[in-house]
Amino acid sequence: MSIVPKETIEVTAQSIGITNLSPEAALMLAPDVEYRVREIMQEAIKSMRHSKRTTLTASDVDGALNLRSLEPTYGFASGGPFRFRKAVGHQDLFYTDDREVDFKDVIGAPLPKAPLDTELVCHWLAIEGVQPAIPENAPLEVIRAPADNKIYEQKDGPLIDVRPPVKHVLSRELQLYFQKIAEITMSKSSPALFKEALVSLASDSGLHPLVPYFTNFIADELHQLMPSVVTCLVSRKLGNRFADNHWELRDFTAKLVSLICKRFGNTYHTLQSRLSKTLGNALLDPKKALTQHYGAIQGLTALGHNVVRLLILSNLEPYLSLLEPELDCEKQKNQMKSYEAWRVYGALLRAAGLCIHDRLKVFPNLPSPSPSLLHKGKGKIISAETRKRKLSADSSQNQLPHKRLMTTTDGLRPQDHTGPAPMHVDKPMGKKGNESESRHQNEKERGKGRVITMKAILGQIWKDDLDSGRLLVKLHQLYDDRILPFIPSTEMSVFL
Amino acid sequence: MDPEQLDEFVMGYLKKKGFNGAAKQLQEALHNNNNNNGTGSSSSFNSTDYHNDPELTKLIRSFSQSENDPTRYRNGYSNLRSWAYNSLDLYKHELLRVMYPVFIHCYMDLVGKGHTQEARAFFNSFRKDHEMIHLRDLQKLEGVLVPSHLEEMEFARSLRQSKVNIKICQYSYDLLLQYLHRTESTLMLGIINEHINFQVYSGQPNSSSDDIDAVTIVGSFQETADHVNQKEIQWGLLEDSLEDRLEKTGSLLTDSEKGQGESKDGDVDDSNKKRSTEIGKQGSSLKKLKKDKAGNATAKVARQETSTVSPAPRVKSELALPVMSTDVEESILEDLRNRVQLSSVAMPSVSFYTFVNTHNGLNCASISHDGSLVAGGFSDSSIKVWDMAKIGQAGSGTLQGESDTNDQVAGPNGRRNYTLLLGHSGPVYSATFSPPGDFLLSSSADTTIRLWSTQLNANLVCYKGHNYPVWDVQFSPFGHYFASCSHDRTARIWSMDRVQPLRIMAGHLSDVDCVQWHPNCNYIATGSSDKTVRLWDVQTGECVRIFIGHRSMVLSLAMSPDGRYMASGDEDGTIMMWDLSTARCITPLMGHNSCVWSLSYSGEGSLLASGSADCTVKLWDVTSSTKLTKAEEKNGNSNRLRSLRTFPTKSTPVHALRFSRRNLLFAAGALSKPTS
Repeated sequence: MSIVPKETIEVTAQSIGITNLSPEAALMLAPDVEYRVREIMQEAIKSMRHSKRTTLTASDVDGALNLRSLEPTYGFASGGPFRFRKAVGHQDLFYTDDREVDFKDVIGAPLPKAPLDTELVCHWLAIEGVQPAIPENAPLEVIRAPADNKIYEQKDGPLIDVRPPVKHVLSRELQLYFQKIAEITMSKSSPALFKEALVSLASDSGLHPLVPYFTNFIADELHQLMPSVVTCLVSRKLGNRFADNHWELRDFTAKLVSLICKRFGNTYHTLQSRLSKTLGNALLDPKKALTQHYGAIQGLTALGHNVVRLLILSNLEPYLSLLEPELDCEKQKNQMKSYEAWRVYGALLRAAGLCIHDRLKVFPNLPSPSPSLLHKGKGKIISAETRKRKLSADSSQNQLPHKRLMTTTDGLRPQDHTGPAPMHVDKPMGKKGNESESRHQNEKERGKGRVITMKAILGQIWKDDLDSGRLLVKLHQLYDDRILPFIPSTEMSVFL
Repeated sequence: MDPEQLDEFVMGYLKKKGFNGAAKQLQEALHNNNNNNGTGSSSSFNSTDYHNDPELTKLIRSFSQSENDPTRYRNGYSNLRSWAYNSLDLYKHELLRVMYPVFIHCYMDLVGKGHTQEARAFFNSFRKDHEMIHLRDLQKLEGVLVPSHLEEMEFARSLRQSKVNIKICQYSYDLLLQYLHRTESTLMLGIINEHINFQVYSGQPNSSSDDIDAVTIVGSFQETADHVNQKEIQWGLLEDSLEDRLEKTGSLLTDSEKGQGESKDGDVDDSNKKRSTEIGKQGSSLKKLKKDKAGNATAKVARQETSTVSPAPRVKSELALPVMSTDVEESILEDLRNRVQLSSVAMPSVSFYTFVNTHNGLNCASISHDGSLVAGGFSDSSIKVWDMAKIGQAGSGTLQGESDTNDQVAGPNGRRNYTLLLGHSGPVYSATFSPPGDFLLSSSADTTIRLWSTQLNANLVCYKGHNYPVWDVQFSPFGHYFASCSHDRTARIWSMDRVQPLRIMAGHLSDVDCVQWHPNCNYIATGSSDKTVRLWDVQTGECVRIFIGHRSMVLSLAMSPDGRYMASGDEDGTIMMWDLSTARCITPLMGHNSCVWSLSYSGEGSLLASGSADCTVKLWDVTSSTKLTKAEEKNGNSNRLRSLRTFPTKSTPVHALRFSRRNLLFAAGALSKPTS
């Protein structure tokens, strides 16, 4: 029968006040209603076509009703999509969600933003039959019209949504810009121009589409870049003036070097080995200045504890014996030299400390207060296979007691840390450089409170990890108590 | 059949059906000696004199032969269908052509007899077979559920009243008749006899099923169309047109160009300089040239026969054409001289005007002949005109301020960079610029056409005449006259100086959706929702051609510059190329998959550009399509697609297209957010 059920007719009749409509009449009316609705919709479609649209709107229906001198439908021309709600208890009955609006609210509400005015923009869709690759045009891949026969095939076959790969379209200007910059960078013929180029790179807007290209460029030209970076690290003298803070530059460079290794190590396999070799040579050459040693140590430290263990810790003993006389204020009269020596000592201490800290971090499930540190520690583990195995074994042994112990530690800490500077090793790495600076000055005041527990610590570590224990002992022999701040407080707490 | 026998049939039928009361009554009535008044045993018997009505007699007899069972239609049709589908491939397509008329008449019979439910079930189960070709008709018929609808609906009425012409070969015809007789499917036979008019021809069936004939269903209409298409038309170009003059003055040059083959743009520039100097010399003698044109014509024809395109004949204008000012004339000549020659290897440049922030309100767009003015008609009754030359001037604030002072309605902040034309009181459906760009015409749902001056930015005239929304309006190629078409099923010719139409063209069976002038101004073409395109003589107002072949409403029209061909685009995305003299479709151009809003021929007629709702502009090589007709006649099978290029826009349906006189293609459309 008609797609308009007779219930609809009855409901509509009721709504306009006809209560005595017989079911037969409703049944007779239903097909006619369908016919009229179809008629109006066909007119509405005409109206839609002449409005050059492919979606039918309420205004089209109003136009069709108008053609037949009928009253338009009211309240549907707002343009927003309608929300149809299901009537409760009826399966196929829907109604439009028409909320009551308080006039006060409407009047009181701030004026809505005026819609943007119509504009006309002009671009080249094609130039002599070729579509230029400009943002206004569709991406290039789509342009290739399928072979004529294919159009038919596609129509017949099932509809498959083929998505063309999105290609990064770079405008001609940017391409030129990139080429020029690369050229200048490579040739280095005109320093003034190069400087200008760098300024432009640093400050000009709209270069973001080039970022991946420049990254790629830098990766390609890394071997050219690396020597100058390493120079910043292990050069004898940096900066023209005496007072220039070359230490900071070296620290920064160390971080940069490790970043480069991390980022490009995958594509540039020999990078890290070559770098550590250079730095190791610099460190082990006694003829080199202390500043150079400092840079080498910092660089190696940044490369991770494995490198530290291999290149620094193995040579630590002879090196310290060489350094010993320089450290002594009485023997070394040159204040500058002495300062440098202490700097180197501090760097060595930090390197060893970080190394041992990482070793001790094999206690995994201690709720470390600083996740950032944990993260960094993980990043450094390169050949962590054996370590991990140990790690899981340890964790199963120690997990429970540690958790219990932690609760007590928190209470004890305030008494523990009496020193002026808090020595949470859990601090982010960046701060450690500074910390180590101050550390060697205050070291004597420090750690006094923990001398008592030190022996116990060592004992426990022997038990836990013979290897790292041995290392710790060695370090302890070399550094005395100075190494202690590097042992995470949580680990120390094990013995409390 | 004598009356007694008939009465017995009726009695038998009533008893069989269990209408005992009615049978008794009838018997009584018969006893009352042929006094049939008030018998009324059943609705179909209500007629007072069923003995003398041959239709009824036939009907009653069919009842008596078998039950009046609606399922008979279903069974009969379904058997015929499976028989036709299983027939030999050679004859299959001819036999299948019979199925559609049988289908719709079965349906309408069922509706007519009040079997609404069965009718709908029947319709839905076999609808799929015919959707491919007859989708629009089916959509119309689907709503017919009650006998009164059949009467009311024009389309259904015309179907019922007329016969369908089907060309069929002798053997197929015999096969069909044999089948119908063997299976004794009298119902199907009756329908076929009643509604189909077979044109039997001897020989083998046509190998390629001719779609065009299959589409038309209205038989009598076909006959009138055939009749109308016999009329003579003069499709040639106007004599003494500007192109004509240019050809003459540049004749020497074209010869030299031929020697060089395809000349590059640079060469053209050089030659243009030469040409212009020539024109300068001959400028004074132009009038003289006009007069002895007839003498030159033969020479020109001889020259042109060597080239591929045979010359278009020249005709005299039947309208008094406006006199063009020499300035305008000069500028047009200059443009024509600078025209880039386009072909399948030399593609045009396309400049695209995108309307942004239209909020779905843009109904139409129009571009002036030189592309400098762009008008948009909006559903909020407004028209906005952009002057691209002004926008091009770096958009400096002072300039815009100046233009705003002329504005009829200047915005409160005066920062608008378009001219707002207000006057209509309904959605604006069409706009068109006069050839020099000094006037703009717009048509609207408020049934009026308005003339605007683009210099004064003011409304000059309001033309009232149509009774319903005016869908399209087009200036004639020479200005002054314009044609409009409307929902009231007429097209009208107007001149700018009169508020009443000069001619009314009536004849379309549904809305007239688009209108286009022939280049010689003597004819207009109209496309309609009745799926036909018609050509009308402007002077007499007669219909001189009917083009049948589209399967849905015709939305766009374009005439080739030589006046020989016409292209029309429809709602389904099909473009048809017509030969005006024969009224035959040269080739359908398939490729768009949505409405073709706009069509435009390039200046020399070698390319056709089409803009569609599927967000593409396509270029078609139409020289090859016209040439191929001869090849097609020979081997009967060729690649019908000659799409050269497709330019997709990002997300902009293409509303308007225009080739400038220099063969730069302008396109316009409103950016619409893609629906995810």
